[in-house]
Amino acid sequence: MLGLAPVRAGGPATRTVAIAGNPNSGKTTVFNALTGLRQKVANYPGVTVDKKTGRCRVGRGDAQHWVDVVDLPGTYSLIPSSPDEQVTTEILRGLRPDTPPPDALIAVIDASNLPRNLYLVSQLLELGRPLVVALNMTDIAERRGLHVDAAALARELGVQVVPMVGHRSRGVDDLKDAIDAVLAKPVPAPLPAWSLPAAMTCEMRRVGAEIGPDASAMGAIAHRLLIGDTAADISGHAARLEPSLARSRERFAGEGLDPVLVDIEARYAWIDGLVGRTVTRSEIAAKRTLTERVDGALMHPVLGLAIFAVVMAAVFVSVFWIAQPLMSGLQTGVDALGALLTTHLAPGPLKSLLLDGIVKGVGAVVVFVPQIAILFLFLAIMEDSGYLARAAFLMDRVLSKVGLHGKSFIPLLSSFACAIPGIMATRTIDSRKDRLATIMVAPFMSCSARLPVYFLLIGTFFAPFFTPMQRPFAQGMIMLGCYVLGIVAAAVVAWVFRRTLLRKGPKGSFILEMPSYKAPQVTEIARQVWVNSSKFLTKAGTIIFSLSVLLWALSYYPRLPAERASAIEAQARAAAPTASATAPVVAPAERDRGNDTPEAVPIADPVQERVDDAVASAQMANSYAGRFGHVIEPAIAPIGGDWKIGIGLIGAFAAREVFVSTLGIVYGVGDTETRGTTGLSEAIATDRRPDGSLVWTPLVAATLLVWFVLAMQCMSTIAVVRRETGGWAWPIFMIVYMNSLAYVACLAVFQVGSRIIG
Amino acid sequence: MTAALQASVQPSTSLTSGTRPADPSVDHTLDQLATGSSATLLAVRGEAGIRRRLLEMGLCPGMVVEVLRRAPLGDPIELRVRGYLLSVRADQARLITISPISIARIAGP
Repeated sequence: MLGLAPVRAGGPATRTVAIAGNPNSGKTTVFNALTGLRQKVANYPGVTVDKKTGRCRVGRGDAQHWVDVVDLPGTYSLIPSSPDEQVTTEILRGLRPDTPPPDALIAVIDASNLPRNLYLVSQLLELGRPLVVALNMTDIAERRGLHVDAAALARELGVQVVPMVGHRSRGVDDLKDAIDAVLAKPVPAPLPAWSLPAAMTCEMRRVGAEIGPDASAMGAIAHRLLIGDTAADISGHAARLEPSLARSRERFAGEGLDPVLVDIEARYAWIDGLVGRTVTRSEIAAKRTLTERVDGALMHPVLGLAIFAVVMAAVFVSVFWIAQPLMSGLQTGVDALGALLTTHLAPGPLKSLLLDGIVKGVGAVVVFVPQIAILFLFLAIMEDSGYLARAAFLMDRVLSKVGLHGKSFIPLLSSFACAIPGIMATRTIDSRKDRLATIMVAPFMSCSARLPVYFLLIGTFFAPFFTPMQRPFAQGMIMLGCYVLGIVAAAVVAWVFRRTLLRKGPKGSFILEMPSYKAPQVTEIARQVWVNSSKFLTKAGTIIFSLSVLLWALSYYPRLPAERASAIEAQARAAAPTASATAPVVAPAERDRGNDTPEAVPIADPVQERVDDAVASAQMANSYAGRFGHVIEPAIAPIGGDWKIGIGLIGAFAAREVFVSTLGIVYGVGDTETRGTTGLSEAIATDRRPDGSLVWTPLVAATLLVWFVLAMQCMSTIAVVRRETGGWAWPIFMIVYMNSLAYVACLAVFQVGSRIIG
Repeated sequence: MTAALQASVQPSTSLTSGTRPADPSVDHTLDQLATGSSATLLAVRGEAGIRRRLLEMGLCPGMVVEVLRRAPLGDPIELRVRGYLLSVRADQARLITISPISIARIAGP
């Protein structure tokens, strides 16, 4: 993963504070406000939960010092029910060897939703670590007529309470001072006093005495054992004391007492008392909140779904509209770089490597960054505003029909950007079968790596059917069609899996908080767009770069023997006049592109072009890649492909977007002298088979779109699936079933399509 | 907080045509509660993990729960509990029994 900025420090930080809190409590906002850009995102070893760490300067004057800050995954309870919550709990209890136990804790709580947020605080207080409470979102609370007396809350809890408005950075200095103070005099937070039934306290004492002599500490462990906490630090006791715990359970059953319920009720009774003494409510508190009124529309069974559909359609149409000028700019830059290399380098392997391998290969992918960034922008806005939870609510019924979960929606939606974060995001799904089903269909969601392929094929082969005015809308709709095809495939496959491989066990659950709406924060959105887009670019810069070089080499070597090359050239020159008379020089795509590509003017010497093409084509056919493309041609001919498309498909198995860069190389080889800066779409639109027919027809393009929607071609995804499922069985199965499905679907489309078109 | 919540519970005006007589032998569960109505929560049943999470989210016996809305096709259900909004599937709402006092507000089948 990648950091935003190097962690600069004015000396070694020796202390660590961890930020804990409920999801939606504004925890990350507080973390950002404390650390600014001095943060980095990594992974906890063994699990794929993000580890966010940063640095913060606390103290005044000469006493200033740096403190490490860890942003823990949001949790509702220290008895975890998902891998994210598990990580948080383990760090807070000091059970993870990769993360030192924090010296102090910051509990971020949502002032507008105090009772449930204080539930976690009731558990944090029991950890015996210094604690500071950041009372966040006080602005929202006040707007709802809830005034929280921070000083009174501090007295009741026995820890510092800092009122904050995280997204306005209000209260940040106070929080820093509180951290400084609590680190200077680290006193464990006082244990809260709540009343438990006599039978419970009695059993706590009895079991505690069997663990060790320290009555209060051992009683606390006994308490956790009795309520069924299975954390690693006490699981040894649980096994050893099982007979004794069984006796306690018998006693509780006899008295009709449920330890889990009793524990939770005692905490909430304590919280209710606390809230009653520290919160004053004004009259407006009884009114419907802004969030509820907005939900009246956005979560309406009819209107809400309509708005949701419009939002999704708007996202995909704007991916074309807004990104277009940026992409043209980038394309111009890549072309200019290519032109520069063409004029300043002598012909030979080095020039070919730089121009055809690197500039064209990587450049073909880089130009799609604006579109990917816009997609990430919409995702970030939906997440930050609170709309994503509503989407899960609206979609759960449909998703559960096919055996998925409302929480599958967020991973699946993320998979539209990239299946890797999507599959990682399935960690929030508690049930393993729900989670596996989501993972297995996530790659059907059209990811950003397919975008270059979609843009190339849709832009080249379908644009001529529409007027310039219709084009953005029509192209957006074809694109939407690709997305819909993937969604339908995912639904069908999930439905089948839940009735076969992943037969439904105990019913899955859906327990999801609907957070209050808030205006998305520009800085946080920008941060997410930047991090995700640079991840994509980093991928382009490493994997795609290396593959571009490799594929260039495979398509450049071995060179044709000189005598064969000149023989082909002579042959082509002899045949050229008739060829150029029968074939139109300007393709429809090129004609409609107008002045978008000023370099794409008809070439002055069609004879020379024909000759060069013939030599390049022979050279490609002779290369390693060409030979392999020919080997697999019989397999892809039934779906409309030729050996060049075959080379592209082989490249796509490394990463889908490599298809575009591979074609850039395949079609660029040999004709750089005359058409060095001509766009790839023109090259493929005018490519002809030896019999003069076009290699690429709209039907071939449509078949390839189907292939790219359905096929599993991304090795990085396979690696992540292996890690997330803990073995090779699921990822191998994924490759086999997805590609079989894709091949059959393509066969159907191409064969049926050819019959209809004739 | 509890008192305040109690105060915010409106007397029901949402008697539906499906209103049926109270039958004390049948447990009334949250999934049956009409949209816009409130009821007092009696107990939470079900598998240990799900039950614990429902309780931890504040769905404790004695709390007043309001059904705010249902998603398209009637599921999941959005609730207001302890002053915040929580969505659960009908399958989970079925695990939550509610007071017979609110039977008058239970929707028809």
